[in-house]
Amino acid sequence: MQQAIPYKAWSLPLSNNHATGVTPKSTTELSVGALRDAVSENAVIVLARRGCCMSHVVKRLLNGHGVNPMMFEFEEIDESEILKELELIMTENDGKDKRRVQFPAVFIGGRMFGGLDQVMASHITGELIPLLKQAGALWL
Amino acid sequence: MNSASMQFVMSRRMEIYEPMHQIGMWGEDYKSSDILNTSTIIEPVRKLGSENTSQGHSGTLDFKYDQEASKPTDKVQRRLAQNREAARKSRLRKKAYVQQLETSRLKLIQLEQELQHTRQQQGLYIGGGVEGSHIGLPASVNSGIAAFEMQYGQWLEEQNRLICELQTALSGHVTDIELQILVESGMNHYLELFRMKAAASKADVFYVLSGMWITSAERFFLWIGGFRPSELLKVLVPLIDPLTEQQIMEAFHLKQSCQQAEDALSQGMEKLQQTLSESVADGRLGEGSQHVPQTGTAMEKLGALVSFVNQADHLRQETLQQMCIILTIRQAARGLLALGEYFQRLKALSSLWATRPPCQPIS
Repeated sequence: MQQAIPYKAWSLPLSNNHATGVTPKSTTELSVGALRDAVSENAVIVLARRGCCMSHVVKRLLNGHGVNPMMFEFEEIDESEILKELELIMTENDGKDKRRVQFPAVFIGGRMFGGLDQVMASHITGELIPLLKQAGALWL
Repeated sequence: MNSASMQFVMSRRMEIYEPMHQIGMWGEDYKSSDILNTSTIIEPVRKLGSENTSQGHSGTLDFKYDQEASKPTDKVQRRLAQNREAARKSRLRKKAYVQQLETSRLKLIQLEQELQHTRQQQGLYIGGGVEGSHIGLPASVNSGIAAFEMQYGQWLEEQNRLICELQTALSGHVTDIELQILVESGMNHYLELFRMKAAASKADVFYVLSGMWITSAERFFLWIGGFRPSELLKVLVPLIDPLTEQQIMEAFHLKQSCQQAEDALSQGMEKLQQTLSESVADGRLGEGSQHVPQTGTAMEKLGALVSFVNQADHLRQETLQQMCIILTIRQAARGLLALGEYFQRLKALSSLWATRPPCQPIS
């Protein structure tokens, strides 16, 4: 089972906050390598294309619950590689999950949760909070 | 009233009647049709004013009935009276009919004006889009939008029918099962609308976003191409009384979740606006506008607008479905009815506003 250790997340080299304007010179290998770590070590992580405004929406929604998700932004050229890696991670975790990854993609507790649709739906039905607590993203 | 004036009245009323028929009505007593005809032509003016004179024995006129005055007097009198009465009633009926025509005519003029007003209002926006500087295409050019407009017209008709059904069902005594069917129809109907809007957004997202397909009053409340779920909850929940404590709490939480989701979407839209204007300011409109392929172009950003509309509709759908979960069937039916009537009234308000008398000050 994945352990969520929030404090370690901040030290990831390729994690970037778009607001700081620091652009990682991410080659494909570097992205993919860091990706696995990022997914496994963060309670909540949002993967999105750089400059995607929908990722902003997901972030705000999660913020509203008191969660500060790790934001993993990639360039468009890296997208296919990242997609492959994510699908690999998904098969390793739970081979039964045949869903296609849509960006922005949210992973909770190392597992693929879904896209903005799923986040929105579970937010309204109230299912999101227990899930976040279970993953250790919330302590209330 | 003597026969001449009576005949004048009758011939005026029944233009198709030949004088012969009138003779027939009075029976076989009067065989001299020639005399009757003569008296019809010659005498009418003189005799109209003298309605109260006795039926035929005025000295001024060589009344045709003098010849046989004594015998048929009562019969004649009765018939004349009946005719008078018939004529009077006929005049009254005619008057009423003409008045009705006048009223209908006025109403027709009013409706035509109303139609023209609302068309003008719609036309103002669509007309503004025809100018080259506008990104959106008017319905006459964009087939996807033309299709949507037609579908939406049909959707509205069906919606009105569903609302009527709900009204009937809730005012009478219907079983929960029947209400269940109605609620499901109502919900599916909204799903249908969201599907239509998704297709229309692909055709022209600005058309959907600027609410060109709804009336002006509805447009006032527009939020990302439709209604704002949390606002609707505020309006409708009080109308679904009585709610249990549990339900009130759940509805409150739902409203809060809605607001959070709306804020998140609104902020996302703001961010989109920001990056869009940056692209425009930098001249990065789209591929082909410069030699170097550009990233982060305005055209790319606009593509994201479609997902915003879809997400907003998704939120509306989720909210409606969650409400159905919180409420009992009867409450859900009342909620759907209140929702439908609310928008009907907004549309009516738009009409009222569009056809208000131009020179009257608004108090």
